[in-house]
Amino acid sequence: MSTLREKILTTATNLFQTQGINSTGVDTIVAVAGTTKMTLYKHFHSKEELILEVLKQGHQDFQSWLSDKLTSTKKPSDKLQKLFVFIEEWVTSPDFIGMGFIKASAEFPNEASPVHQLSSEQSRQFRQYISNLASDAGIKQADILALQLSLLFEGAVQAEQMQRGSGAMKYAKKAAKILIDGALTP
Amino acid sequence: MDIFDSEWLVSMLTKSSATPQGRMLSLFDVLNDWLKAPKISALDAQTQPNIKADQALVSFITTQAKACGAANPAMLAEHIVLIARSAAQQVANHPESNDLIHAKEVANALILAQTQRNWLSAINTPPAKAFIYGIAASTFLIVISVSIWLPELIKETRPAIAQTEAATVTANAMNKNITASDAAKMYTKYEQMRNGTCQFPEALQIPDKDKAIYLENVVGGKLPNNLDDLAVATTYLEKVRCNFTPMLMANSK
Repeated sequence: MSTLREKILTTATNLFQTQGINSTGVDTIVAVAGTTKMTLYKHFHSKEELILEVLKQGHQDFQSWLSDKLTSTKKPSDKLQKLFVFIEEWVTSPDFIGMGFIKASAEFPNEASPVHQLSSEQSRQFRQYISNLASDAGIKQADILALQLSLLFEGAVQAEQMQRGSGAMKYAKKAAKILIDGALTP
Repeated sequence: MDIFDSEWLVSMLTKSSATPQGRMLSLFDVLNDWLKAPKISALDAQTQPNIKADQALVSFITTQAKACGAANPAMLAEHIVLIARSAAQQVANHPESNDLIHAKEVANALILAQTQRNWLSAINTPPAKAFIYGIAASTFLIVISVSIWLPELIKETRPAIAQTEAATVTANAMNKNITASDAAKMYTKYEQMRNGTCQFPEALQIPDKDKAIYLENVVGGKLPNNLDDLAVATTYLEKVRCNFTPMLMANSK
């Protein structure tokens, strides 16, 4: 990836999360990135394409980070339990600026929008990831638990995006433990 | 129209249940019924999740969260409304989905996560060190006393033993002490209640003579001292209605 493309992506990621996707114009992105509109459109044909790339990159980074964190945990049920421990660490870290697909889904509620479609797909992929962990842990209704945990997670991230230090993830982690323990009980 | 910003929703929740937990959880039932009613197609698809627009609803849920002793009522309310909105959007787009039903269980777990400590501490308060030392000292004194008095007791005649046995039976009949089995049953009930969201009978509706037993042995989770109190406590324990979902059963500490 060219350095300039990477810089535009990083700048757009930060601006979308801090100022909102719809509120951030291409002019602002090029000004902050120190480039020109022509260069931006050379790498991304439209603002929508830029948004989609930001979402893809962010989701890939998040999934890789989470998978790396869980690598050292061997027991499947422990992986499930630790999921929210790591997510809480991430959400409460100073670097946290939000979750791309959650923000995009909120800003693009129309189902016909490609941005909405991609954010819904990423939400589904995350739910599937949890469902696989739950299945590995021997939970029969893995899909239901995955749906519940993803609702819990997305709600807590939204609360945290609205108010930093809200503590939402702390209680989401406790609630997740209650849900996981319940699902693990035969 | 955005249902989350309607007075109708708050008025429906207000009359939905006698308990604050019930009123919070009814949000999911009311939304599910509303979305699945004939001729009501969807939420406003263009409406973005905006907690500020749901202020009346968040305020109502915050009041309920305070009433049930949540550690952070405002945050619990916001989280519940965000989850409800997300699940309702899904049901609006895909009417066959059960997201609101599963979201209700998530909200229940969140309520437990914020209130569980109060209930746990009532039952599982760890004994203080002084209490443990007291028990140890008492045990030591009993052992010493028995070793001194045992030879004297052995000298007693059989009629005396018979008299002692008769006296014990009389004393037991008078004290009506509860047995280990009774205690185990009560602890099982307390444990079950701890693992559910329970709705207790209103204390005002309970006769004055039973009120102290009800508050101490049913609400407070303390074992009754005798069989009479046990009978009263058991009567009221059976009136406690608990919501147990499979996921909230054992090991939910």
